[in-house]
Amino acid sequence: MDNNKKIKNIIQALGEHKDSQAAIELLTEFGTNSPDDEIRELTAQTLIRKNTHESLRVVLISQGKGINDLSARVAMASINELLSLKDKTEAVKILDDTIKMHSNEDVKNTARSVRALMTFSS
Amino acid sequence: MQIGKISLHTAKAAEQTASQNNNSQAKPVTNPFGVSFKGNVIQADVFQSTAQKASSGIVEKGKLFGSAVVSGINNFNEAFKSRMNSIVSFGKKVTTNVFDTIEKIGNTEIKLDMEGIKNKLFPDRKYSVKNLTNRPVDELKTMWADLNQEQAKAV
Repeated sequence: MDNNKKIKNIIQALGEHKDSQAAIELLTEFGTNSPDDEIRELTAQTLIRKNTHESLRVVLISQGKGINDLSARVAMASINELLSLKDKTEAVKILDDTIKMHSNEDVKNTARSVRALMTFSS
Repeated sequence: MQIGKISLHTAKAAEQTASQNNNSQAKPVTNPFGVSFKGNVIQADVFQSTAQKASSGIVEKGKLFGSAVVSGINNFNEAFKSRMNSIVSFGKKVTTNVFDTIEKIGNTEIKLDMEGIKNKLFPDRKYSVKNLTNRPVDELKTMWADLNQEQAKAV
């Protein structure tokens, strides 16, 4: 088993971990800052699947992470995961707040686009 | 007349002495040299004059064979007894050792790190999702950090 596969397993385990708060912190610290696109993609998907306020905030309003990632692959995977959520309530709320209040225009624009996609898809 | 009787007695006595000498010469000799036959010391009287040997060859062979068989049986009994003794003593020793070992095991506290053994036998098991999910997050953080360091070194 190579190191990348081991890290992917750790991310998957953190997604199912009982200590959700600590798991989100670790995913944010190591996963979203990984130089590997694959790891960042998997981390963003895991955080979105958790569907909590803390986990969604990381991938929706942080610059260079989740839907705002510089890698199109990571950003698109994050948006797809958001669209496939059964309960989109928390994600929509955070996106609305971001559109209204975020200081960064790029982040605002991305949030607006994703919010529109979510409206059409639901 | 008396002289004739004496001479007759003397002649008879001389004749008897001669015949006794002949008999003593013809008498068989008991194995004086400890000669062995097929590894067994021959106990029978097998050394006889050549004339007698020639006359009763078959009988002598039978004697030789019988003597060897008897001697062989004696040797076998002795060897069997000695082997049996060694087997019995070996069995006693083994039994004692087994009981000592059982007693030592009974007095020894055995602790097995089953998790460590499993991880050594199946190194990938440590990184299985099921196993990782049951570990504390701090431990996962350490593992992830180690993997990041390994990757950085590899690059």
